[in-house]
Amino acid sequence: MHDDIIAAIATGYVESAIAVIRVSGYGCYGILKKIFSRKNIKFEDKRVYYGHILDENRAVIDEVLVSVFKSPHSYTGEDSFEIGCHGGLMVSNSILQLILSRGARMAQPGEFTKRAFLNGKMDLSQAAAVAKVISAKSARALHIAQLQLKGNFSNEIEEIRKNILLLLAENEVNIDHADEALSDFSKEKRLDMVNNIYKRLSFILRASQSGKSLFDGMKISIIGKPNVGKSSLLNKITGIDRSIVTDIPGTTRDVVSEQLTIKGIPFTLLDTAGIRQSSDDIIENLGIQRTVNAMKNSDIILALFDLSSRLDEEDFDIINTLQKNSNTVIAIFNKYDNKSALFDKSAIPFKRQIEISCKTSYGLKELVDKLEQIAVGSVADSDIVSLNASQIVTLKEGLKLCSSLLNDVKAEIDPTLISVEIAGLIDILDEIIGKITTEDMLDVMFRNFCVGK
Amino acid sequence: MFYPKRYDVVVIGGGHAGCEASLIAARMGMKTLLITINLDSIGAMSCNPAIGGLAKGHLVKEIDMLGGEMARNIDETGLQFKMLNKSKGPAVWSSRAQADMPAYRLRMKHVMEHQDNLDMKQATVDEILDENGKIVGVKTNIGNEYLCSAVVVTTGTFMKGKIFIGLNEYSAGRAWEPPSIKLSDSLRSLGLRVGRLKTGTTPRLDARTIDFDVLAAQLGDDNPIPFSFRTKNFNRPNMPCYLAYTNENTHNIILSNLDQSPLYSGMVSSLGPRYCPSIEDKVVRFYDKQRHQIFLEPQDEGSTEIYADGLHTSLGYEVQLAFLRSIKGLEEVEIMRPGYAIDYDFVDPTQLNHSLETKNVRGLFLAGQINGTSGYEEAAAQGAVAGINAALYIQNRDPLILERDEAYTGVLIDDLVTKGTKEPYRMFTSRAEYRLLLREDNTQLRLAQKSYNLSLIDKVYFEQIKESEQKIERSIYKLKNTYIFPTKVSNLKLKDMGTEIIKTKTDLAKLLRRVEIQYNDLKKLIPDLEELDSFIKQEVEIQIKYEGYFRLQHQQIEKFRKYESLFIPKNFDYSKVGGLSNEVKGKLMDIRPKSIGQAMRMPGVTPAAVSLLLIYIKKRDERKIKSSA
Repeated sequence: MHDDIIAAIATGYVESAIAVIRVSGYGCYGILKKIFSRKNIKFEDKRVYYGHILDENRAVIDEVLVSVFKSPHSYTGEDSFEIGCHGGLMVSNSILQLILSRGARMAQPGEFTKRAFLNGKMDLSQAAAVAKVISAKSARALHIAQLQLKGNFSNEIEEIRKNILLLLAENEVNIDHADEALSDFSKEKRLDMVNNIYKRLSFILRASQSGKSLFDGMKISIIGKPNVGKSSLLNKITGIDRSIVTDIPGTTRDVVSEQLTIKGIPFTLLDTAGIRQSSDDIIENLGIQRTVNAMKNSDIILALFDLSSRLDEEDFDIINTLQKNSNTVIAIFNKYDNKSALFDKSAIPFKRQIEISCKTSYGLKELVDKLEQIAVGSVADSDIVSLNASQIVTLKEGLKLCSSLLNDVKAEIDPTLISVEIAGLIDILDEIIGKITTEDMLDVMFRNFCVGK
Repeated sequence: MFYPKRYDVVVIGGGHAGCEASLIAARMGMKTLLITINLDSIGAMSCNPAIGGLAKGHLVKEIDMLGGEMARNIDETGLQFKMLNKSKGPAVWSSRAQADMPAYRLRMKHVMEHQDNLDMKQATVDEILDENGKIVGVKTNIGNEYLCSAVVVTTGTFMKGKIFIGLNEYSAGRAWEPPSIKLSDSLRSLGLRVGRLKTGTTPRLDARTIDFDVLAAQLGDDNPIPFSFRTKNFNRPNMPCYLAYTNENTHNIILSNLDQSPLYSGMVSSLGPRYCPSIEDKVVRFYDKQRHQIFLEPQDEGSTEIYADGLHTSLGYEVQLAFLRSIKGLEEVEIMRPGYAIDYDFVDPTQLNHSLETKNVRGLFLAGQINGTSGYEEAAAQGAVAGINAALYIQNRDPLILERDEAYTGVLIDDLVTKGTKEPYRMFTSRAEYRLLLREDNTQLRLAQKSYNLSLIDKVYFEQIKESEQKIERSIYKLKNTYIFPTKVSNLKLKDMGTEIIKTKTDLAKLLRRVEIQYNDLKKLIPDLEELDSFIKQEVEIQIKYEGYFRLQHQQIEKFRKYESLFIPKNFDYSKVGGLSNEVKGKLMDIRPKSIGQAMRMPGVTPAAVSLLLIYIKKRDERKIKSSA
């Protein structure tokens, strides 16, 4: 069905030292023969050929290396080749146009990977990981995506599925062959098994939340009264990893936003205006509204307090506002270097508290560790997974079902009812890893790929 | 000679499948001929004297709804009736009855003899006649040719049947009856793949030589429920069965004589039923079990012949006698007929459509043990479907196909045609994914509409069922919308019932969900609650008590239906689907699944392969739409 030949500049439309043009599809070597300078070559699998690409008038376009990957050993599983040419848009684009004029068509975003999937080279969760590998914003995220690409996550789900099947088989034996005493699972053993499945699924849920933080990033709002040190804190934190700080254009004068990665986690930091009500200043009131919105949209709120003085009315306003909010709050006591006895910590209702000094950098490491902790929790990198929203919804359904299964096994209800729950769990796992994939699912998935992958 | 009378349907074989097939075809107005090797063996129970049992009871009730006779026949001739699994959930409650074997057989024959449109003839069919891939008739061993449009083959174990008792072997279709030698060659020449399977039966013992006093008697239910929903004035005896046990001595005798078993000596290599194993199989496979249960069952109300259930064997006569006599209560037993093993030709059922028609010969239907199953009920259920579909084929109507979420019969047939079988296939409740909704008690509700559409049940009965259905719905609605309040009086009553008191306004459905509460208890709380007949009461209780689980099962069915409704065209070209391995392609081309759902159930077809199919079919449809636009 993939009888057409697709081509794309795999390295993208950017200036670079070299560029790679990728071509895949049965019959693609016919095209190669027409445009390659060397005649009478029988292209062999996993071989690199040196030569020139010639245009219709046999004029040299570029000096190139052609790598040949034959079916089924190629990335897509089809016959394919890659042309390594000089960088620069002119060269790579001329070669691409030449290939297109010889019968190939331009590949759609993600089409090479889609073909790899359709040809059984990878499962869907691996294909999803390919997108993650490409879009990873940090080495850490890349590493995690690579593990998922290797199939770690699929294997774990497969393991859990095996356990559920074992439970089902044992349950069924008790229904149809009860008198033959073939089953030797005690109630405790069954409970253990369900418990274990529950734990593994809830671990995956946690790990997917970590994955979400790592791949999609987290938003942090900094809030506090004027002069409490918000800007200094912002500068301090961004200073940790200056090299990849980018300024986001279009920020307002009220909410200043910066992007940075801390320990491989992309964070967006929002510095906010105060929230002090001042009825007569319309502009400031708008600023307050923006602050409230920023807070609502944040995953973490850093509430700054001044250790060098007594808590005042404005501090309490902030505390009250935050208490109405359900976001994660870290209370940060700044100016540790100038600590005052008048500061009353007992008035701060937030569980997470850190003393820092923007001046001496005291406590900053603790803050960064805490941010990482909140973002990825205690999940090891090798376990972190990246799931999409509907996978997470399905996973949560699975957990609900699993906990009712646990209760039912405990209550020793009728085994025919238990079977229905176990079967439901199997369906859910299959859905999570996309065991059966429809074209619609594929379209959604590969749409987000770049061309050439 | 060409027989002058022309038939619509010819049924070959008068066993449980053949009886149902010919009765139903005739009842659907087809001129039907049953040809059997021995008219005296019509409806014969070759093995155990019982109908029903786990998952089989379900089949019998479905046969009843499909216009078959088995349920009514056992209701008239049973010797003991029992509902199995009462301690478990309603999904696995299964009816079972001991049968009076000769009475069962004779009643069946009489019903058939008096059936309009049905003729019966004693003969052996040697050849099935076809023209251009269509059935035109059959030819018997004395050269008679009967012309017809459809043939239902229900030969059971008769095709090239070979019986083994110890190291003795002889050709037979059933003990002391001749086999059918030529028919399977005729099937082969029609292009069907034929294999071998094996089954066995137990020794029959003389009751006068059994010491019943030392054995535990087991009776049926005091107020038994008949199999057929239409049986009235049900009043049958309750004869006991007796429980005996093998012991280590029995096992030693068997183990030291395995060389006398045709199975273990290598004379028979075909596979026997894993779930209904011979005693020598049980002793070898479960070597750590110290004893095996045996049921001594009556075969016939007035006879002394006793069936020893659990002792299927093909060991030699002397060994059978020796191990039997090692069993407590059987020390002086006399064998009236020895147990034996039989192996026989069967047709690989993956060559059939869901209608039970063969894929390569139109009008040729196969049902029963010939398709690799084991058990009277499995055979009869297929017979019913084959009979119906033979009639529908002649009437040029769509076949009756029962889905996996509609009937055990549907599960049975789908399993056979999708997966085939390597050993005699026996029905289990665990084969039915949607077991919770495929219960015995709701068989009428499940099948009424389909049955009525095909005139397999009459209008009066159909309307009765519809009325019950509405009554059930109304009662459930009522219970969900009737409340009791935590008053002193109510809570005192609840306490009396031995259930927890309520603290807030509670609807009756919620109370009924409690394990210890039945519908009648609710009447104590709300005296003017409607009096319900026992069937409706039971349905209301079941549907309310298990509502949450039913909902979950319905979700699963929805998913199942989704894939089931993605049809694969009959002439679909699998070679065009990229990425499928040659092995998977071969399997798909062989079975030709009707839907993506069926493809998913085929062994060896991976989810990835199914995904490729799905995507290819959708792409192709899109291209079609585009090109037609």
